[in-house]
Order: sequence, then structure tokens, then C-alpha cells
Amino acid sequence: MYRAGLRYLLRHPWQLALSLVGVALGVAVVVAVDLANQSAGRAFEISSQSLTGRTTHQVFGGPRGIPEAWYVALRREHGVRQAAPVIEGEAELPDRPGRSLRVLGVDPLAEGAFRQGFGSLAGEQPLSRLMSRNDQLAMLDRDLRELGLAPGDQLRLRLAGREYPLTVAAALRPVRELDARGLRDVVVMDVGAAQELLGRSGWLDRVDLILEDSAAVERIRALLPADAQLLEAEARNAALQQMTEAFQLNLTAFSLLALMVGAFLIFNTMTFSVVQRRQLLGLLRAVGVTRGQVFRLILMEALLIGAVGTLAGLGLGVAIAHVLLDLVGRTINDLYFMLSISELSLSPWSLGKGLVLGLGMTVIAALRPAAEATATPPRAALSRAVLEQGVGRRVPVAALAGILMACGGGLLVVVLDGLMPAFAGLFLVILGWALVVPLAMRWLLRGLVRPLGRLAGLSGRMAARGVDAGLSRTGVAAAALTVAVAAVVGVGTMVDSFRHTFAAWLDATLRADVYVSVPGNAPLRPEAVDALIATEGVAYWSSARYGRVASGEQRHRLRVFRLPPEAETAFRFRAGVPGEAWNAFREEEVVFLTEPFAYHQALTVGDALPLATPRGERTFRVAAVVYDYSTSEGAIMMSRETYDRFWDDPVVNSLGLYAPPGTDGDALIQRLRSNAGELQPLRYRSNAELRRLSLQVFDQTFTITQVLRLLAMLVAVVGVLSALMALALERAREYAMMRATGFTPGQIQGLILGQNALVGGIAGLLALPLGLVLSAALILVINQRSFGWTMQVQVSGDVLVQAVALSLMAAVVSGLYPAWRMGRTPPGLALREESA
Amino acid sequence: MSWRIGSAAAVVLLAGIAVWWFWPSGPERPTPAGAEQSVTRFLSGEEAAEDYPRITGPEPLRFPRDHGAHPEYRHEWWYLTGQLETVQGRHFGYQITFFRFNLDPRAPERDSAWGTNQAWMAHLGVTDTEAERFRHRERFARGGAIGLAGAEVDPFRVWLEDWVLEGASGEDIMPLHLRVEDDELMLDLRLEALKPLVLQGDAGYSRKGPEPGNASRYYSYTRLATEGELVIDGQRHAVQGLSWMDREWGSSVLSEGQVGWDWFSLQLDDQTEIMYYTLRRDDGSVDPRSKGLFVAADGSTRLLEHEAVELEALRHWESPLGDARYPVAWRMRIPSLGLELDMEAVLDDQELRTGFRYWEGAVTVRGEREGRGTRGRGYAELTGYEAGPQ
Repeated sequence: MYRAGLRYLLRHPWQLALSLVGVALGVAVVVAVDLANQSAGRAFEISSQSLTGRTTHQVFGGPRGIPEAWYVALRREHGVRQAAPVIEGEAELPDRPGRSLRVLGVDPLAEGAFRQGFGSLAGEQPLSRLMSRNDQLAMLDRDLRELGLAPGDQLRLRLAGREYPLTVAAALRPVRELDARGLRDVVVMDVGAAQELLGRSGWLDRVDLILEDSAAVERIRALLPADAQLLEAEARNAALQQMTEAFQLNLTAFSLLALMVGAFLIFNTMTFSVVQRRQLLGLLRAVGVTRGQVFRLILMEALLIGAVGTLAGLGLGVAIAHVLLDLVGRTINDLYFMLSISELSLSPWSLGKGLVLGLGMTVIAALRPAAEATATPPRAALSRAVLEQGVGRRVPVAALAGILMACGGGLLVVVLDGLMPAFAGLFLVILGWALVVPLAMRWLLRGLVRPLGRLAGLSGRMAARGVDAGLSRTGVAAAALTVAVAAVVGVGTMVDSFRHTFAAWLDATLRADVYVSVPGNAPLRPEAVDALIATEGVAYWSSARYGRVASGEQRHRLRVFRLPPEAETAFRFRAGVPGEAWNAFREEEVVFLTEPFAYHQALTVGDALPLATPRGERTFRVAAVVYDYSTSEGAIMMSRETYDRFWDDPVVNSLGLYAPPGTDGDALIQRLRSNAGELQPLRYRSNAELRRLSLQVFDQTFTITQVLRLLAMLVAVVGVLSALMALALERAREYAMMRATGFTPGQIQGLILGQNALVGGIAGLLALPLGLVLSAALILVINQRSFGWTMQVQVSGDVLVQAVALSLMAAVVSGLYPAWRMGRTPPGLALREESA
Repeated sequence: MSWRIGSAAAVVLLAGIAVWWFWPSGPERPTPAGAEQSVTRFLSGEEAAEDYPRITGPEPLRFPRDHGAHPEYRHEWWYLTGQLETVQGRHFGYQITFFRFNLDPRAPERDSAWGTNQAWMAHLGVTDTEAERFRHRERFARGGAIGLAGAEVDPFRVWLEDWVLEGASGEDIMPLHLRVEDDELMLDLRLEALKPLVLQGDAGYSRKGPEPGNASRYYSYTRLATEGELVIDGQRHAVQGLSWMDREWGSSVLSEGQVGWDWFSLQLDDQTEIMYYTLRRDDGSVDPRSKGLFVAADGSTRLLEHEAVELEALRHWESPLGDARYPVAWRMRIPSLGLELDMEAVLDDQELRTGFRYWEGAVTVRGEREGRGTRGRGYAELTGYEAGPQ
């Protein structure tokens, strides 16, 4: 009996191959995304483990950092010895554009107890050179070899905009493999050299501590400067990693969508195989095979397809993961923090999940067809008409269930908080709608019989009726196609809306003619600031200071703006009254919050936000919430006036220079360069350039989304290909009969293509409402909850038209082969073939 | 003096190696490959020293300036050893040394306060004679403007983090206050000079080898009344006694063939002190530049040439590490002073087993001076006994 099943599958190689490809692709996407996510997580863990070392606690300061004198006093006056100063920064390799290195400035003599990987820093030669010169560095032996360098060689690095020829003082050869991996792309320097090259003289970014007990913790806490905070190293690493969680969850959800489309495929294949073998199944039942045995037979077949497809999917997933890894890494670097993900960690857990999901989906998808097969009465033949009748009866039931499911899903999305319920709800909506598709299709087709008849005569009517009559298969194929196209529409609309919103925000925000900053966000020298604002053609100017500020156990982004009244319009209010808020911004102890910040912290206008200042903890009132799409972490905005009242920190990170209308921007940049170029290496960006660069980063960030969208579409096309091709082939006898009754091959081909076009077109149309609902949910709920951004929904006609066209094309393409075959096969042969 | 120069010479590079050694990587600790080579190169090589200023002849010392640091020279130290007793007569020995090194004589001017060529190391050793315990600690820090370690005058202050030796302003830095603490080990002592400082060698010019410039500046306080508190293994003791302070700086290196030294500082009951060292050569002979100084009760001094002193080891002790055998009992005869002294370590194991290994410990002295019995206490420093890099 099982052999009969196997033989059946092998006799339909096309169908078998396409379902295998469908399952494989679905599983591959899930596995690839999961592997990429896991690898990013693992890379983060390894790097934080080796860079945190035995550190238990870390002290962070205000926006400027921690005064180095505090650290010295810790050791000199208080005898705290398990303490290590750290400066952090970024460096670029001028010879390899795009490759960033993480700079870590440490005191080799204080490192002993902390980071094992730095052992070789303390050898005689490296120690003396690292300490006494500012052009020395140490790097992982492996990284050096990759760059073709050895100790004593020179390496050109760009730090804070300036290029330095640095000498490799030592190669780090950590004993532990963990350190060897965690220290990849890390440049270790002495704390003094790092201070000088990064423009941080006098300050530390943090002090790492090893504190054995709570008494030691309390002792340090009592010594902290007023605006500093003591955090547990592990908690801080966890908080950092958590920032990427929403992003990674979104990726996972998209990948599940691909798997869902794959499941439709299995469902389709198995349903089809059952329908096609109704005679055989009836025969088996007649010779005494029980229902249970038939059920198991179908399930086993499905499992076989599922297993082979899943295994292939695992392999394919690993391959795709390599591509995704790069994209995930780039996004994390753009949006969150520097992370070098150099290798794919093949976690058995990810592969296992893929295996279970692949097989599980297969079994679930095969349950219905298997149950259907057992329903085959023990008679030799069950006419397809009877089967279609059965399907026909179930279609409205399924649709009703689908509507209920979709409503339940919608409710889940809207009513419950959090991302998981939203995604679950969204999946229910998609499934529900998929169940409605066959009924909707029936109605549409019945409505189309007449118009098509008028348009294309008998062929037109036959096409519509044919699709309707074969609803048991066309319905599922159409549903799969609908889901896939809807995903394309939904995600496309979401990205479009986001991009549109982002671009509009950039236009509103980037009001200055020229922005000047130091690469790497180092401070602008005061004399450079003076020279820049005094340049001819600068009518007025704004300044910004970026840093982090402590609030309880958290560290928030702080942006300090000196804004001329003319620049106020750059900020659009989500909450708050502009006039009042701006007055308070300058004169009172208030802050503005960016929208994501307000969302994540659940704060709104009128609320109080405690911040650690050098004058102790102060409470700031929230005067406004403004739209901002620069960071999903969110930021606190404070006026320079307010900041200067509490912080003793004149540092400026960037200037916005406003010129009178009609000023030639390039000429202005030329003048600025000649005035300040000697003082400091600076980056000058016109607002148009900044806008372009920002959008470039945006597009780069969404590359991964687009890739996943395409993959989901690919799975759908494969599904439609398999379903419609099978349908056409199954009807070979029907078509042969038509040939025999006088239809020309051309007419038959037209009929096949017409039917497919109908399925594709209808699926495409039905996908539009679902796609729009999906995009609305993604924009208004998922993105909002993931990142805290409000976006304007922007439905582009292009996306919709493209989606329907894509659907049509996929359907028509899948009709080409059967049409070609039907056209060539002599009617007699086809008739014989099917009755064999 | 040569023994200390040698010590410093080794230490200059060992400062680095020691940290490495000290790295708590447990069983994964790498072996310091290349260390032997650099030691040999360093100890015998002249080229490394050429960028440092050299000391080539006697020059008047000026105080308080010379109590402070001389950062341009390769090495320098403030060396205190002493004998302490509780009222009940329980004896302790202690050693605290602040070493300063210039690691890079051609280092550029730096903007960051951390940028410096000055490295500091401090050693603390305490001997609990009665309990037969010896505890020691080692610390490293950079010098320079960051202020983690350094030496200043007006007022006098030498420190490495919270280990501090401080004194008064002006030419006379006495009294001194020493405070060093590390878990379960603490010294808090006040020191007052009972005799003025003495210049070693030729008016403070101390030659180490035949090469010009192989010399240092060297002066000592040989008798410092000491009182205060000490903590060892968590137990606190009120103590008083006598200390000895050495000051030395220079840029010299060990001459070829010198392998180690035995150094003694003895404080006798008759208010006299003796400093003496022998420089051992690789062929087993004693280098003719070995010498010493006798300080009379009135503070006058007498140079002791190496032919004037006979030194004989009476007993040896094997390090638990198994690769070093130190003498721990000696007989010293100085016929010109009518002196015959037997010295013995108060505890055999006073070996500092840190990055740089040596034996530095308290000794008791018994003997005769011109026929009359005399007693005393002192410190001995023994280096170059371990088989290994040396």
C-alpha cells in the first residue's frame, strides 16, 4: 500500500518537486532568519563576555563621561584596586572602506584582573610603548594576519576624522577561544592614546569594577559623582541586547509568513493527491484497508515530502543565512551598536526549530486531506463531481470560520498589548482571510461567467466555470497566492509609508544649510565653533550636544540643543502646545521627548522625569513629545540654557549653520573650510546631502525586509506553479476530450492560460484588502509597538498594481508548460494516459 | 649599588613581565617565551641605555630636590627595611620599596595625563618571626601627570595608589609617615632619623662596573626610630623599632659576568651600622667592585673595600619552587674593625615569589667587636640564585 503511495508520488515528479521546493524554501527562510538572529546574539554575547571579562559592575558618567580624576581618587584615596578605566570609540580602515573597528582604550597595568584576552599587553616592549606613545595599538593575532600585519608594522587608521599611521605594538593571542572570537575587530590602545586620538583627554567613558559583595557595591555608590551611575555589567549587556529584540522579532515574524505560505503548498499538494487518487483509495477501502490505514498512508506521504523538503530547507537555510547575517549585522550597526558578526554560529537549536516547524506544518497541513481520503467510500469510483460538491458545501463553512478567525485575530491585535499577541493576531487574520478566499472566488467567478462569455465566447465562459468547478484545488492555490501577494503588498506599503514619513520628517528637520560635525561624534573645538559661526554668510546657527544621561538604573540618550527661534519649526509636536512648550524649554526645568522615548518609557506631557545631574538628581517636566525617526531607542531633548544650568560641559558635537536665502551652499562650505579647516578635521554636510545619506541608511536597513518579502513571494510562486500545473495536467483527459470534439490546440491553450489568469487575477485582487489590512497592522500596531514610531500610511498605487500584475504573471507562467504540453499531445494519447 | 642596580635592571623589564606573570589566568597562563632573551640582552647590552642620561662622577646632591624623583634616569627607588617589636618583644621584619622606571627615554610630550614613560612598582614584605609567616605583595602603576604613582618634594611624598610614604617640607624630610595597606596586611609607621643621611660610595657616586657611566647616586638613612601599627593575617600589633632607608637612582646596567648579589644592612646595639654587599660572578668569584660602608655611632663613615670583608655562607635553604638555594646563615669578618659577626635569617622562607623573585628578609646578628659581645638585627637581600631567566 505504501509502495503504491510512493509510486504515485514518483509518477508525478513535477508536482513532487515543486512541493519539495515550496517546503524547502519555507523552512529555509525560517531557519536562515533564526540562524542570523542567533548568530547576531551569539556574536554579541561572545564580544561582551570577552570585553566585560570578570567585570561585575560598571560606572558611567554624565554626557561627558567620568572625570579621570575620580578614577585616580578611587585608587589613591579609597584603595579600590579592582578598577579599570575604559575609553571606547570607533576607527575606520581607510584602505578598506566600510570596515569599522571598535577602539578600546585601557590601562594595561589595571587590566590584570579584568580581561584575560589582553594578557600580552603587559609584556615589556608593548607596555612601555603603549604607555609612552600615542601611536601604538594591539590587535588580535588573527585580525593582524588577515590584514597582513605583524608586530612592528604600521596600520593606518582613521579616528575622529583624522588619519594616523599607527604601529602594531603587540598581537593579542588569547588562550581562550572565546576571547579570540570576542576580540575580533577590536583595536586595543592605552587609555592615554585613546583619549588623545578620540579627543577625550581628561575623561573616561566608564570604569569597570569587580565588586565582591553588596558592601563593596554600596561603598562605590557612596563615592559616585552626582551624575554618574553604577550598573551591573550583566544587566547592562542585557539591556543593550534587548534593544535589538523588536527588530529580531519582526524578522522572525516575516520568516514565519514564508513558512505559512509553504504550509499552504503542502496542503495543496496533499489535497490534490487525494483527489486524484480517489479511485485508488476507493479500491483500497473496498479490499479491506481501514480508514485509519488510509489516514496514515496520506500522513506518511506528507511526512515524507515534509522530511525531504525540510532537510533540503535546512541546507538552503544555512546558505541563505550567510547573506542575511551580513544584512542583520549592518542593520544592527546602523541602528543600535557596533557589532562584528564574523561567523555564522550553526546553533542546533535553530536547526531543530526549523525541523520541527517544517515537519509540524506538513503534518498539520496534511491532516485535512488525510481526513478527506478516509471519507472516500469503499466504492471503486467517486466522481469528482461528488467531491467538488462536498468542497462546495464546505466552502461557505470555511469562509465563515475564516471570518470569525480574522475577527478574532483583529481583536487580538487591537485589544492586547505587546508584540507577540499582535503577531499572533496578524497570523489569524491572514489564515482567516485565506479561508474566505475560495468563497470569494466562487462569487467572483459566477459573476464573471457572463461578462467573460460576452468577451470571449464559449472559451471565456468555460474558463470561469472550469476554475469554479475545480475549486478544491484552485481555491487552495489561490489562497496561497493571496497570502503571499498580501504579504508583498503589506510589507511594501509599510516600507513605503515608513520611508515617506521618514523623508517628510527629514525635510522638516534638516533646515540648516550646512551641518558641521567631527567624525565619530568627537567634540568640536571651541575655536573651531567660533570660526565657523563667524564665517561670512552664516545668518544664525544652532548647536547640538549628544550624550547619555543617567535616570535611575537606565541610561538615556540626551540631545542638548541651542536653537534660534527660527529653527523651532524643525520640530513637529505629537503632544504639547508649541508656544508654551518652547518658552518652557528655554526657561524652565523641562525636557522634550522624542516619540519612541515617550512610548517606551510610557511618559507624556506633564509627567516628571528624574535625571542625574552634577548637582544631584533633578526632576524635569515633560513639556512636549516630538516626532523623531532617528533612533528607535528614543532620546531626551534639552535646551542648552537648561543644560548649562546643571551641567558644566561646554562641549558641542555639531553645528547647524543657516544662511540667508539665495546663498550658494557649496561656496559657503568652501568659506567654512577655509576658516576652520586648519583647526580641526571636520565634516561638512549640506542638508540635501544629509538627507540623501539618511535615506541611504534607511534603505540599507530595510534591505533585509525586502529580501524576506521576495523570498515569501518566491515560495508563493512555486506554490501557484505547482497547484495550477497539477490542475491543468489533471484535466488532461478533459482537454483531450475537447480536442476530440473539435477544439483546436490554440483554443485549448487559450483556455488553460485563461483559467490560470483568472486564478492569478482574482488572487491578486483578493490580496489587496488583506495586504492593506496587513500594512495597516504593521504600521499602526507592529511598528508602533516595536519601535514607538507613528507613521503616515502611504498607499502607493504602484505597489498595488505591481502586486496584481505579479500574481497574474505567476499564474500565467505556471500555465505555460501544461498549455504547451496539451497543445502537442494527440488527443488519443492523453485519453489513454489518464485511464491507464 | 650594584645589587640594587642589577635588581632594577632586571626589574625594568620584569616590571612588564611580572604583570604578565601576575595575570590571573590560572592554568592557562602562558610561559613567558622570549623573556630569557630580553633579560640577557638587557643585562649585557649597552645600546638600550644610550638614550638615558648617565652618572659619570661625583656631584653634590641637593636637597630637598634629590629626595624627589629623577624621571629622566632609567631607575630609582625608595627602599625601607626595618625591625619592629611589640611591647611583649614579639619581632616583625618589614620591607617596603617604591621602584620607579623610565621605560622610554625618547617618549614624546603628551596631551593626555595618562601618557608617560614612568612606570612604578612597589613591593611590601612582612615577616612574623614568632608565627614563622612571611607575607608579601606587589603593585604596579604608571607615573606621570595622572597621579596614580609618583614622588614629590615640599612636602616629601612617594606613593603608588594608596601606598604612601610622606614627610616634611624642606631639606629635612623627617619625620616620615608610611602607610601601606593591602587585604590583611597593613603598615602604619612614623619614622624619625636618629642619624643624618650618609652618602654611599664617593660622595654619593656609586660605581658598578668598569664602564664609564655604570654608576648611580646612592645615599642612606641608616638608623630611623620607628613606631606605629602593623596588621598581618588580620591581626593588629602596636610596634616600635628601627628602620633603614636607601635612596638610589641611575641608568647603569649589570656588567658582563655579574650574576647576582648578597646585600646586608646591619644595625648593631652599639649604635653603629654596616652596609655590605658582594657581587657574585658567573665563575663563582666575587667581583672586586663589591663594597660597603661602616657608620660609627657619631655618624661618621668609613668605606669598606671588598678585600676588607670576609663573608662565608654557613647554611642554605631551598625554595619551595625547587629551583633556588639561598644562603640563610653567614659569618662576616671585618678585621680592620675587629668585627666577627654571625648572621642568621629569622625565618628561612623570606623569598618574594612574584614576577621578580628574590629573597629579602630580616636577620639576627650576634658576634664580637674588639673582643666585646655585640648583637643586632639587619636585612639581607639575595638575588640571582634561581635557575631560570637569570
